[in-house]
Amino acid sequence: MNAYVPATDPLPLPAPAALLTALLHLTFVLHLLFMNGLLGGAVVALAARLSRRAPEDLYDRTLTRVSKLLPTLFAGTVTFGVAPLLFMQVLYGRFFYTSSIVMGGPWFALIPLLICAYYGTYLNAFRGERLGRWRVAIVGLTAAALAWVGFMFTNNTGLMLTPDRWAGLYFAAPGGSSLNLGDATIWPRYLHMLLGAVAVAGILLALLARTVKDDRELAVHLAGRGVALFLGATIVNLLAGFWLLVALREDVMMTFMGGTPLGTALLTIGLLLTLLLLWLGFRARGRPVGTPLVVAAAAQLVVMVLMRHEVRRAYLADVHAPADLAVATQGLNMAIFAALLVGGLATVAWMLRRLFGGR
Amino acid sequence: MNYPVWELSMGGGVLMAAVSVLHVFVSHFAVGGGLWLVLTERLAIRRQDPELRAFVKSQSRVFILVTLVFGAITGVGIWSTAALISPHGIIALIRAYLWGWAMEWVFFVVEICAALVYWYGWERLSARTHQAVGWIYFVSAFMSLVIINGIITFMLTPGEWLETRAFWDGFFNPTYWPSLVLRTFASAAMAGLFTLLTAAYLRRGPARISAVRWSAVWVIAGLAATGAVFQWYGAALADALPGWADQAAGALPVLPTVLSLLRIGLLLGVLVALWPLSAPRTWNPLGGWLLFAAGLAVFAGGEWIREAARKPYIIHGYLYSTGLRVDQEPEVAARGAGAFTRWRDPAAATPAARGADLYRAWCQPCHTLDGYNGLRPYLVHWSDAQITEFLPRLQHMRGLMPAWHGSAQDTAELTTRLAEARDGREAVFPADAGEAAALAFDLHCGLCHTVDDYRPLRDSLAGLDRDELDADVLDLLEDYTDEMPPYLADGTERTHLLDFLETVASEDDDDERSES
Repeated sequence: MNAYVPATDPLPLPAPAALLTALLHLTFVLHLLFMNGLLGGAVVALAARLSRRAPEDLYDRTLTRVSKLLPTLFAGTVTFGVAPLLFMQVLYGRFFYTSSIVMGGPWFALIPLLICAYYGTYLNAFRGERLGRWRVAIVGLTAAALAWVGFMFTNNTGLMLTPDRWAGLYFAAPGGSSLNLGDATIWPRYLHMLLGAVAVAGILLALLARTVKDDRELAVHLAGRGVALFLGATIVNLLAGFWLLVALREDVMMTFMGGTPLGTALLTIGLLLTLLLLWLGFRARGRPVGTPLVVAAAAQLVVMVLMRHEVRRAYLADVHAPADLAVATQGLNMAIFAALLVGGLATVAWMLRRLFGGR
Repeated sequence: MNYPVWELSMGGGVLMAAVSVLHVFVSHFAVGGGLWLVLTERLAIRRQDPELRAFVKSQSRVFILVTLVFGAITGVGIWSTAALISPHGIIALIRAYLWGWAMEWVFFVVEICAALVYWYGWERLSARTHQAVGWIYFVSAFMSLVIINGIITFMLTPGEWLETRAFWDGFFNPTYWPSLVLRTFASAAMAGLFTLLTAAYLRRGPARISAVRWSAVWVIAGLAATGAVFQWYGAALADALPGWADQAAGALPVLPTVLSLLRIGLLLGVLVALWPLSAPRTWNPLGGWLLFAAGLAVFAGGEWIREAARKPYIIHGYLYSTGLRVDQEPEVAARGAGAFTRWRDPAAATPAARGADLYRAWCQPCHTLDGYNGLRPYLVHWSDAQITEFLPRLQHMRGLMPAWHGSAQDTAELTTRLAEARDGREAVFPADAGEAAALAFDLHCGLCHTVDDYRPLRDSLAGLDRDELDADVLDLLEDYTDEMPPYLADGTERTHLLDFLETVASEDDDDERSES
């Protein structure tokens, strides 16, 4: 047992750990959908801006369409980021807080950076055409800021899993200027996440093509670009995934290679789904993206989230067992939450139907 | 004690305060602004005033840019900052109020979605549906306040929760209702403040006049009601926190000042807002920014008071700012704080280095050396022996500190660390005799007493001459009560202190009072 791992808080969990974990996964998948759209979308917007040759060419129209979506994707990313952060903290707070403090400076700096990036997407969406030559800088900085935010999350969520590294980093810089760069998993982990985001953004781009009714040429372009982006990112990501697998601590890696049935099954399913996705992707070239590809990609996202959780569980296995935490289930409050959630989602659905379905 | 402490020279508390005040300011605007938007839209429809409607529309864009972006991210920012500054507090809050946060999150989702639909729906939705979306926005924003208010008032006045540990006992705590009403009116005032500012930039014309007048009404009514409810809140606070009356009476001398400034700020706000109400044509951006700055100052003052009243706790009566729980105190006192300091540098070999770990864990959550709650200005005047005498008596100080439960070795190590911060610097007294005397008082007696208000000294000193003050008071301090440390200073400092005490002892009580 590492002496630096904080004692668990004596207040009990307000619901069984399994339920909280399920809510963590559910909301995290939603967060990833928006986050991938946002991060990948910003990359797509930047690429479109760089490829643009003339106003109103295909790339320019792509830029306009994608730019208008980014602020809403940002709102979704933040909104659906709060919930998994909450459920993660209630279960793993003592690890996450410690690693956050060890990298306190760069971690805190995310707040002003996120505000700037958020305004960057609005500036690009509302005033993009009037920005002229500055537009490439705004879009580029926004994309870079978002990529940096992702890198900081990779640092922190990785550092929280390795308590053995905390004391060395902290006492070398108690002002919290450390990053987790000495961790062998950090680069493959970040690359895996980044390429995944681009791949999902590719699918979203191809889906966006289906909503473009007034510009046939653009629709074909978006569909083609989207699928190509998805295929390219996924093929490279297969390699990044293997790199990540072998970079993991040996016992954690073995979890997925016969160590535990769940880990092994997840890796197998993940690989099979990747092959399926590649096949569906190659078939979809030049045609509107089909529902099977979207469903398979969503399933892959869920598998990836579950694998990521297995990595966390295995890394922390000897210091933390959520199932051992004291529980005092607050049944009434859970019921109120569930009722509010149903009512809230119905309200959201109603508003969106009104907005998109006419008056 | 459990977590590492993020070493910030400015002090974590200052950073926390900066993030919180900005967020609280904007989030109240988000609540009040929702109501303003939907009521003003209705007004524009009733008056068939397209210009006013256009103003509401442009205002809803400002609104999105301010609340969705700045409000939402600083809200997440409060969380992450709190986790960096007081992880013990945030984990306890999340464990106790997870479902509260989760419920609030649902309203957050609805609120964000409604704000976007409201903005994108100006031309796409019917007037009726659009207003309905506006109401959905306002209600969900207000419900966020309803829930968060329960959690932040819980931190200050947890009430029955301390015994029952029951969610709703802590939620509907003794200051819940006055705080909710207070914040609701403050929200309305904030909405008026923001729109007065943006309306100041409108093209001159009838729409500008009606927008300015209408927003001024919001400010005046909101601030006046806030002021009235503030009395209710204060009474509830005094009722729930017995120590609050002492503090307001002078244990924290700066507190009454902040309270008065707050009242003056509210009054001034109302008075300034009479300008756009009575002469809307002359309203200009300068006035808008002035009022805006006044609003920010009132919020900063209000939040500061809430934090000050909570000292030395994160959750009153349950968890100290250092991360120590009240129920842990007996055990920590028995085994010594050092044994409960998890983050000790394995390379710390000297007493000063071991003391540095103790300092970080137990002092630094609230103190800096030279910045906020700075210790060095005191330390430069204190000897090692004085520091060692003060440490076990911290809980008696008027500035409200948790007790130091160090073993003899812990205390010696911490003293070494504190002395290190002092060494190499000279103890300088101001040239002015009165200021020097006051400083000598602050360095010792003033840590626990004030002259007239809190644990007042005047009566006990009255009539004593300088020799008596020296021989019967200063030399015998430790014989009075165990809580009082001996007076160990000699030379200049002692002379200055005797000057001060002699003045107090010889002054006529009433004269002094009327003077101050």
